[in-house]
Amino acid sequence: MLSLKNISKYYKAGNLKTSILNNINLDVDAGEFVSIMGPSGSGKSTLLNIIGMLDEPTDGYHYFLNQPIHQLKEKQRQALYKENIGFVFQAYHLIDELTVYENIETPLLYHNIKSDERKALVADMLDRFQIVGKKDLFPSQLSGGQQQLVGIARALIVSPKLLLADEPTGNLNSKQGDEIMELFKKLNKEEGMTIIQVTHSEKNAEYGSRIINLLDGTVESSKNV
Amino acid sequence: MLKNYIKIAWRNIVNKKLYSAINIIGLTVGLAVGLLILLWVQDETSYDKFNTKVDRIYKVNASIGTGASKQVWGGTPAPVAFHAAKEVPGVEAAVRVVGDMDYSKFRYKDKLLRRTATMKFVDDAFFTVFDYKLLKGDPKKPFPTDQSIILSVTEAKKYFGDTDPMGKVLRGDDKDPYTVSGVMADMPANSSIQADYLFSINVRKKQYNGKGMWKAMDEDWGDYWADTYLLLKANASPIAIADKLTRIHMSLQKGIKPTDGVFQLQPLADIHLYNPDLTSAGAEIVKIFSIVALLILLIACINYVNLSTARSVLRSKEVSVRKIIGAERKHLFFQFVFETALCFLIALVLAFGIIYAIMPLYNHIANKEMHFDLFSTSVWKVIGITTIITLAASSIYPAILLSSFKPIDALRSRASGVGSGNFRKVLVVCQFAFSIGLIIGTLVINRQLHYIQTTQVGYDRDHVFTVNLYNNMYPHQDAVKAELLRHREITGVAVGDNIVNGDSSTGDTDWDGKPATASMVIHPFSIDQDFIKVFKVKLIAGSNFTGEKSDTSHYILNETAIKEAGIKNPIGKRFKLWQRNGIIIGVVKDFHFASLKQVIEPAIFSYAEKSGQLFVKTTGKNAAAAINLVKQYHVQYNHGDPPFEYNFLDDDFNNLYKTEQSTSMLFSIFAGIAIFISCLGLFGLATYTAQVKVKEIGIRKVLGASVLNITTMLSKDFLLLIVISLLIASPIAWYAMDKWLESYVYRISVNWITIALAGVGAILIALITISFQSIKAALANPVKSLRSE
Repeated sequence: MLSLKNISKYYKAGNLKTSILNNINLDVDAGEFVSIMGPSGSGKSTLLNIIGMLDEPTDGYHYFLNQPIHQLKEKQRQALYKENIGFVFQAYHLIDELTVYENIETPLLYHNIKSDERKALVADMLDRFQIVGKKDLFPSQLSGGQQQLVGIARALIVSPKLLLADEPTGNLNSKQGDEIMELFKKLNKEEGMTIIQVTHSEKNAEYGSRIINLLDGTVESSKNV
Repeated sequence: MLKNYIKIAWRNIVNKKLYSAINIIGLTVGLAVGLLILLWVQDETSYDKFNTKVDRIYKVNASIGTGASKQVWGGTPAPVAFHAAKEVPGVEAAVRVVGDMDYSKFRYKDKLLRRTATMKFVDDAFFTVFDYKLLKGDPKKPFPTDQSIILSVTEAKKYFGDTDPMGKVLRGDDKDPYTVSGVMADMPANSSIQADYLFSINVRKKQYNGKGMWKAMDEDWGDYWADTYLLLKANASPIAIADKLTRIHMSLQKGIKPTDGVFQLQPLADIHLYNPDLTSAGAEIVKIFSIVALLILLIACINYVNLSTARSVLRSKEVSVRKIIGAERKHLFFQFVFETALCFLIALVLAFGIIYAIMPLYNHIANKEMHFDLFSTSVWKVIGITTIITLAASSIYPAILLSSFKPIDALRSRASGVGSGNFRKVLVVCQFAFSIGLIIGTLVINRQLHYIQTTQVGYDRDHVFTVNLYNNMYPHQDAVKAELLRHREITGVAVGDNIVNGDSSTGDTDWDGKPATASMVIHPFSIDQDFIKVFKVKLIAGSNFTGEKSDTSHYILNETAIKEAGIKNPIGKRFKLWQRNGIIIGVVKDFHFASLKQVIEPAIFSYAEKSGQLFVKTTGKNAAAAINLVKQYHVQYNHGDPPFEYNFLDDDFNNLYKTEQSTSMLFSIFAGIAIFISCLGLFGLATYTAQVKVKEIGIRKVLGASVLNITTMLSKDFLLLIVISLLIASPIAWYAMDKWLESYVYRISVNWITIALAGVGAILIALITISFQSIKAALANPVKSLRSE
């Protein structure tokens, strides 16, 4: 599904070159659940953003669904992203002015999905995450765990092929975190959703099928669980 | 999708109450004032355009004299229309409109009403050339007989109520009978011709009895008393026609100088805004106000753009999230467009409310009867253009701005660097440059107005009031004068023409040693022997009238007249006014008998034993008593008909500057509003800055910065912008006001004090606006602001 070849990322400030990622090679197959770990500043978030096409590498080859991303134009890349990738953030990043229902519905609006279909899809999603009762609340009225559930629901509503999560439990207490991880595991096992997550927590990483350790922008180790 | 946009827009407006209030108030006031001004401009430029043939209708003006003493009169001799219609090719029809010979009251049966509306004598073609609506009667033959009268609906109702006026007889001044032959719709307020009573021009024609200097009306080339309108054939040349008319005049009036009575055609559409000599009679103010309206709208738009772009930075998180979940540029663009549109809609509704509410007051100040028509296309043109400009600036810019950054960066770093503040700074500078420009304009206009109203005009009009003697008191004026003078409340009495506004003039002058080619237009005042004393006009040579019989052949001239005529040692020299030869017995110092916009022109005093106008000088303390005394005589002689009326010359004098006064008042209001809206925007920006810098302020306070330090830090950037605005605005305003002042012969000059005053004023107002937020931010507890980060 995904293949990174010799991916590097560095910033130049005057004569100073700051390297963030250095010659990364990574292949992810459909149905995998990959956890990326590493200390702060090891480049794991940058790697995730490059995979998610929110950031561009300085060098290297990037293939996604057999398309050479590094050769695509911005517009094509966006289209590919829009159809196939869902994002979940540590800070949830829900839109404060919208209710739970509307937050989940918004991606469908941008995908030009008709009203009836939207209603059905959002209702399904609310059902599935058991947040029907919260649908008219605003994000500020929810607990962190609930907000993250909405964030995941919003990412999943357009049925992406790849779910990217940047420390999805970082702002949650351990009980809430466990629930989210269980949900990821279920998604991966039962629906075959490909998931790549960045995490600090050894325990959360264990939920995945493979753990990749980054250090100073290079892959230090990669082991299957 | 649409519903979603509107919903989000609405929630954004409701959630951010302060910003929304600033935005909407600014837009509302801007739109309301902008629309009100444009309404006024539209009214001013709409004059006479209701005539469908307006493109082909011209007014004939007459140029008299050459060089400095050249004048252009709006009236022509009556034969112009006669010959134009008869023998000038290209003229389809000619209409004369003449006032004068006023009946003061009309009687229908036992109903006797004082005439308060205008009466005019017109040619038969009146209703076919112009579009005035004849509701009853025949437009082709409006006056079946010379004793026909046409009334406006309003006047007809006064005499006849709901009964049909046609065929009924009105008696003018209780003697002359006129049969109603038509009823016309009231003339529109934006018509240059105004009349409620129309008579056939033949009534005037009959007043020529074959004796006297001019035998018949259509041969009288000497009196310029008819407003002459020509309807030209399509493609006829107005210049050629004017030339032809001049040639006819020269060939028919024997002994006329080739420079006296040269005709010019002025398009009907121009006569409201331009004088016969093509100088501005309001066109300039229309131009100025259009610019002011534009500036105010711009200031309001800038406000919105500034605040919404500033706020879009704070909203970068939301925008980023939307991008990540699939929003494209167009989605974000339309979201911003809808928000702006909704704000506009609210502002528009409020603006309409304001306009409706203050329309009566506005009409009062502007001295007009305007109606705000929600369904007029021009109103919507203004709204449309304003909306599109604001929408474009406040949607496209943030849309481009926000879609250009990488969403992931914005999410991480709170996007402090999105969009350069330079764009906003330029806009703030523009805004304040406009405002300061308007303030300078207001100051200069007010100073000039003060100057012309306090300048010594060369005569003393203090505590002088005037009354009309009317027919019954007129013969007894010597007795009345003598008796009034016996009272100590009255310090002087005179009769004559009004000295404040000498608007009549004649070119019919001759004097010893007059070169063959010379001509002099002179303003005649007929006065009695007390006039010069009462008004303290300074006699610099010769003597005053004495009141003896011989005075009828004596003249007193002003300095300018003597200079222009080139008379050396004038006392005792011959001077001829109209057809009356006399000698010059005195010379007075120049005095202003017109607006200070005009240079002093030649003037002449001739002696009249009796005159219709009485002037009474009193003192401030005794004014009421003096008025009462005069009233007693009025009641005694005129028996309360017409009712007693008086007016102080000070009011007449102020009337000369009525336009200037209402202009200056409106200008002050507009400048105030401009600065208000600008400050509203500044307030919003200061709030925003304080919000963005909340962390920096917190850190500085922890490090020991005082409230004053913080306030200075937050204020100084803004103040710098105001100073830059001042530097940009002052030379432009200086230049513009210098140009405006050029229309006054007697004027102040723009000086540094005015500019400094405007600058200090603007800075002070801005400082107060900013410091309100700055101090609040500086006083905030740093622990709070740092913790929340």
